[in-house]
This record gives sequence, C-alpha cells and structure tokens, in this order.
Amino acid sequence: MNAAAEFLRRSAEKAADLTHRQIIRRNMETYDVAAARGRTRFADWDAARERCAAIKHEAIENLDALLIQFEEKVLSRGGHVFWAENSAEAREYIAKLAGDRGVKRVVKSKSMVTEEIHLTPALEALGCEVVETDLGEYIVQLRNEPPYHIVTPAMHLSRVQIGELFREKLEGVTSDEPAELVAAARRKLRAAFFSAEMGISGANFLVADAGMVAISTNEGNGRLCTTLPRIHVVVTGIEKVIPRLRDLAYLWPVLATAGTGQPITTYSTLIGGPRTAGEIDGPEEFHVVLVDNGRSELLADVEQREVLRCIRCGACLNACPVYKQVGGHTYATTYQGPIGSVLTPHLRGHDFDHLSYASSLCGNCTSVCPVKIDLHHHLLHNRRNSVQADQRPPSERLGFRMWRWMMMSGSRFSQLAKLGKFGARVGKAIGIDPLKPWTSYHAAPELPRRSFRDLWKDGHV
Amino acid sequence: MARVLRRIGCELSFPEDQTCCGQPAFNSGYWDDARAVAQRFLRVFEKAECVVGPSGSCITMVRKFYPGLFCGVLPTYSKFYEFSEFLTSVAKVEDLGASFPHKVTVHDSCHALRELGIKEGPRKLLRNVKGLELLEMPHAEECCGFGGTFAVKFGMISSAMADTKLQNAVTTSAEFVTSIDPSCLMHLDGVFRKKQSPLKTIHLASILASEATQ
Amino acid sequence: MSNPSRGRILGRISTALQQKSPPMSPQARPIFAPVGDLKERFEVECKNNLTECLFTRNAGETQAHLLAILASLDPGIVFAEDMPFLRDRLPYAPHTLQWSSEGAAPESAQATITRVKALVAATGSLLVTSSCGGRRGTIVAPVHIVLANESQLVPDIESALALAEAKGMTTKNSYVGLITGCSRTADIEKLLVIGAHGPKRLVVLVES
Repeated sequence: MNAAAEFLRRSAEKAADLTHRQIIRRNMETYDVAAARGRTRFADWDAARERCAAIKHEAIENLDALLIQFEEKVLSRGGHVFWAENSAEAREYIAKLAGDRGVKRVVKSKSMVTEEIHLTPALEALGCEVVETDLGEYIVQLRNEPPYHIVTPAMHLSRVQIGELFREKLEGVTSDEPAELVAAARRKLRAAFFSAEMGISGANFLVADAGMVAISTNEGNGRLCTTLPRIHVVVTGIEKVIPRLRDLAYLWPVLATAGTGQPITTYSTLIGGPRTAGEIDGPEEFHVVLVDNGRSELLADVEQREVLRCIRCGACLNACPVYKQVGGHTYATTYQGPIGSVLTPHLRGHDFDHLSYASSLCGNCTSVCPVKIDLHHHLLHNRRNSVQADQRPPSERLGFRMWRWMMMSGSRFSQLAKLGKFGARVGKAIGIDPLKPWTSYHAAPELPRRSFRDLWKDGHV
Repeated sequence: MARVLRRIGCELSFPEDQTCCGQPAFNSGYWDDARAVAQRFLRVFEKAECVVGPSGSCITMVRKFYPGLFCGVLPTYSKFYEFSEFLTSVAKVEDLGASFPHKVTVHDSCHALRELGIKEGPRKLLRNVKGLELLEMPHAEECCGFGGTFAVKFGMISSAMADTKLQNAVTTSAEFVTSIDPSCLMHLDGVFRKKQSPLKTIHLASILASEATQ
Repeated sequence: MSNPSRGRILGRISTALQQKSPPMSPQARPIFAPVGDLKERFEVECKNNLTECLFTRNAGETQAHLLAILASLDPGIVFAEDMPFLRDRLPYAPHTLQWSSEGAAPESAQATITRVKALVAATGSLLVTSSCGGRRGTIVAPVHIVLANESQLVPDIESALALAEAKGMTTKNSYVGLITGCSRTADIEKLLVIGAHGPKRLVVLVES
C-alpha cells in the first residue's frame, strides 16, 4: 500500500476513535492554557516572533559562512565536524566511530534528526544497546513505536498504559502515579547514563560566533548524555546554525514559550567541545555531524527557503485541527503536523505530496509559528509543485480540465447547475448517489428550487 | 444579501455572466486553470465600482491570492469586499433593522478570520439584531473541516472536525450556527443533519435580512 | 576521516544563496517587559520555577542555612566545589565530603554544593559553567545547593550571555549553561513531575 493510501486508512481509523480524540483534546487544551500564559510574559509576542524570524532568516541567508565559522571554532577546541550529505553517510560515520571505540551502550537525548536518518537500527545492528533518555522517547521506545509528537512523544498514552508498560519492563513499579513512574525511569536510566560509552544528542541551535552547540531539556537527560559518556556526538541538520550567542536571548524564551509555555527550558546548555585540560569531568571526544539530506535543495527553492527557519517547537502541531483529529502516528513520517506536511516532500519526494492535501488550509499553523513561516501557503505551493511535476492522478487532472471548461462560460455554468440539481433528483429516485464521497458524511444538500440567478432575472430580488 | 444592501440604499447590479473566482483549482494546485478562470472573473467585474460577495473564501481568493497568480497587487483587487466587511467598513452601518429572536452562535470562517481579519464585524452586526441572543462557543475559531476538496478527499477527518464543531456549539444551547461563508455552512449543515442534530445553520446575510413580522 | 561531502554541501549552499531572499527588517519594538527590582524579580521567578531561594545577610547566616539543609539529608557523600568558605565551615560528619579538586562528582552523591557565575532575575535562572564543580556538579545529585551573592544578579538572559562572553566563559569552558529550577517532566499526561534525571531540589542561598 502506498504512503497516501496508508495515510487515508490510518486517518479514517483515528478520526473515528473518540477516546483518542478526547486524549489529544485534553493535552492540547493544557498546552493552550500554558502557552497563552507564557505569551503574556512578553511585552509584545508578535515582536518576539518577528525578531526570531529575522534571526533565522539572517542565518539561512548566510548559511555557508556561518557553518564555516562554527566549524572553525569547534575544530580549534579539539572537536570533530563531519558533513554528511545524506542519512547513509551520517549513519556510517557514527557507526564507524562506535565500532572503532568499542562502544557497547549509547544513551540518546532527543533528536528528530537521528529519527530522520534511522540511526538507532544501524547502531543496534552493530550490537550496541541504544537507550532513549527523554522520558517520552523512552516510553515509545519500550513500546516499539515511533514518537507521536515532536515535543511530547508519548502524548497519546494514559498513565494507566504507561504504568502497565513500566510494570512489565521495569522494577519497583506498583501504581500508575506519574511521580512513581518517573522515579522508576530515573533509576533505570541512571544506570544507563553512567555506563554508556557514547552519548548522542541533537542540537536546538549551533552558535556560530561561539562555536557552541545549544541543547535544551527539562529533564536534565541532555546534561547527563553530554557529560558522562566519554564520547559525545551531536547529530544536527545544517539549518540549525545561528549567527550569535546573544540571539539565544530571544530564541531560548520563544522556543520554550511556543513549545511548552515555559519562560525558558530548565537546562539550556551550551557545549563547545570535549573537556579541556583543566576540567575535572566531561567527554574526551566531541563530534558534530552536520546532516544535509535535502536541506540544501530546499535552500535553493527561494519561495520555500524560509521553511528552514523551523525551530521544531511543535506549536503548529498543537494548533492544527487535522492533527487534533488524527494524531502523530497517522503521518508515518519523522516530522508530523503542518511542518511535517510542508517539509517531507522536499526531504523524501512526491510520495508524500498527499500530506499537503490533507489539510483544510485553515492557516492556524501560520498564525502560531514563532518564526513566522507561512506554513499554510507553503502547502499550496507544494500542491502546485505536485501538479507541475505531473504527480496528480489522471482522474483529478481530467476533473479540473472539465471544471475549467464549465467555468469559462456563464451559460455553461448556469446550465450545469441546473443539470446538477436534476441529476441529483434523478439519482435519488433511482437509488444511485453520484455524490457519494460527499454524502457518506453529509446529508444530501437541500437545493433551492430557484437559484439567485433565476430570481434576479425575474426581478424577484 | 441583496435585500440587505438595497435596504441601506445601495444600487445593485448582478453580472449574470459570472461563474467562479477560481479557488477550487487554485487550492488543488492547478494554478494555470485557476488563472484562466480568475482572469475571466476580473473581466466580468471590470466595470464595477465595488463588488460584494457573501463569502470570505471567494473574497480572500481575489484580494490575497490573485496578486500571487498575476504577480502583483492591482488596485482592482481592493474593490472586492466580503459582505459583513462591506457593511461595517465601507457602508459603516451596524444596525440593519433586522429581527431574529433566536439563540445564535458564530463560527469564524478560516479565510475570513486569518486572511481578511474578520472577527468583530459579524458580531457587531449580530448584536444589533432585535431579539437575537449571541452566544460564544468554545473554539469558535477552529476550522469546521470543509477545506474544499479536502472534505471529499479526506471525508473522515473533515466530518470529525465538523463533529467537534457540533460538540462545541451544542455546549452553548444555541439554536443556530451562523457564519459568513456558505461553504462552511453547507458542510456543517450536511454533517449536523447526518448526525440528526437539531442544530440549524444560517448565513449571516439571512439573519440580517430577516425583518420583524407584525 | 576525509570528508568529500563537505565540499559538495558547501557548494550547493553557496549556489543556492546566489539567489538572495528579500531582507527582513523587524521594527525595533520592545519585546520583553521591564524586569523591575532584580532581587524581587529573582525571588518571584524562583517561586514560579520551584527553586528554593533564601536571602542571607552574612556568611554566618549562609553557613547556618547550609548546615540545616545538610542535616536534613540522610548521611552520604556531599560533593562540593572547593572553596575556602566551605573548607572553613563545613563539618566532616555525618556526611562524607568530596571536593572538586579531588575529581569529578560521584554517582552516589546525595547533594552537590557549587557556586554560580550569575543570577538571572527575569527568569530565576543560574548561569553556570564547567568550572562550577565540573559539568557534573550542577546536575548529578538529587539535591543541588548553590552559594551566590546578590552582586551576581543580572537583569535578563541577554545580560547573562553578554557577561559570559565578556568574561571569556564561552572560550575557557567547554560547558556553559542556564539552569532554571529543578529537573522536571510533563511527558505523562502533561502532568508536571519534579525530579526527572537532574536534581529534585534546588536551593539557592543568596548572600548580600
């Protein structure tokens, strides 16, 4: 089954699942309240969005110079930088490193890019144990499923489900109390942190003028992953670079507010390299893997280049009425929701065009994006690109050719409207429904006997 | 809509040759087809001083998307108005002398809200309607799920979104859901009746056209 | 390891950027609300993010509070950033003291005691580096006790980062960070649980 048909099947299933709908609604309402409160901390939230948009815009327009500046600084402090054109190259580098260094256990803090490049299976194939340390990621890893949401990976699960899971997989769990569940995870993961030879993290930002990688977590797992193992590997998209350390004064609060409604994430960390000569702890090796994987092509598309501004806050997922009905797993892509629908065709090709069509174009995503990406208009651009690349089904192309023919003539248009009404009546009489895709979910429309056009002509208006 | 506009003294004409603004093709990515139909649309209304339409999505197409289709904003686009917008911003009339003694809640159509900034206007007009009790539903700004071909291509999601809208509207005890967009209303009405809900839909223009029966 | 992709990626980027986007010039509007009195604001923000903030008037009071906190813990290892104040004033019993000069904070540490580089009023945050008891000192134990001074208050994140740059913190240390409250997660039903992988309790003693 192709991706589009699979999406249709999954979305139909989820849209009918009222329990699922309730769970998401509740989560989203909690988020809405927290985010609204968070925004009141700003004198002018829109100005904050504009500033962050401008910072990312500047970064993208100077991407090569900034990446070179960042790389120079990292190298000068004893770190390594590897440029990976695609997923395979990134995986190979990290796998080779793990193999060469005798790595048996890896602890990971959250990184969407590592999902994008399918890193974990590659390391597991080498015999490494890979442990997700973000609690949400850890939970879905135990369940062998992908993350449900880019910020809250286990949003679809209740404490009862998580409690059952933990009772099966961990020790010392007797109830479904979140505090007890978190404590059990802490105990288990602490052992992993202290024994792992390699810590893998993502990057929220790459700071060019400081040569440092910015990583934000609330749990502190990012801190431990980047402190305890002797090798620290950062996996990041090339678009994460920003010009200056000072830019974080805006990006950090805005990311936290849009992501969770917090003023700033609990641990906002900057790592510049391996431990220095005078430091008492820290990794001995530091590697940054810069992943392209289609981003430089998106950069070349001037109309849609701004999509690279994304700071992966998840606000658009939370705002999307379609996401709220179908949830994250339905998309079956690394990046879900509006940003996922916009981005995925660029990263993975026209097989994922259907995501751009699975939207009512309401525009709520655009109105919440903290870096002012015109998300819903980019869905329109993707749709146009799909047509221009001849990706549409022949029936649809034919349909619009006929539509155009009808719309180019006033008389054809009004005749058609009459024909349509007549056809609907005939169909009803003989039991055929030409409007089945509509009437499966809607009662048949009650059409007026006389159209406005007729009334106007007869002077009844 | 025509009745209301006449009531406030507008001189009306209806170019009978009009067909469509081109949005269905545009939204589906068929921009060449949309452009041809859009060009015709502009020609049909070329001589008009001011054009009013009872649809936020059509007017959005003209004012917000025609510039991209035709590369540039021409003055002709700004003469197109959505009906409630025309009343409040151009005619500057907020009391139409209407009477509609019912409980009514407003659904904010996405195009009107997010592309044209229409939110308070319809509410101002409704507050002046005699006997009308205006109720606000939770998540009034959330999409109803129509989205053009989306409603047909992704019917399950679309109808689930309308169902959510129904659940939200029902909490207000309103008898009618109103909006300024016929596509939203047609979609919601179809789903409400399919689910056998007593909730009714009505276009803002129909409310404003209602006069007290003596 | 040779990296031919580097040239190819940079090549594609610079070709792409031959077409520039129209520039963005955001208006200069104030983004953050004024911070107000630094000490008051820091106190309020600490309450919000669940940092225990105690103001003390002198070294004696600081010591008293510190000893009281340590007394509330079960006997175990306490890791401390090596400094004369602590060398002079911390008792050796019932806890086992380990100093940063002896090495990294151990896994079993009950509590760590460190200094910080600045206190950020606007968010109730601490500016720290790897010289504050190593990287581990500010994350590895369930209780983190901070010794700070009122003179270390700065208004906001921007000023904290400016300070970090001015003092060369970002060049001399491999880790620089802002810590805001104790470790937490809302990954289960979006309910806040305090104490995930980092400290469950963060106490800041601010001496005037």
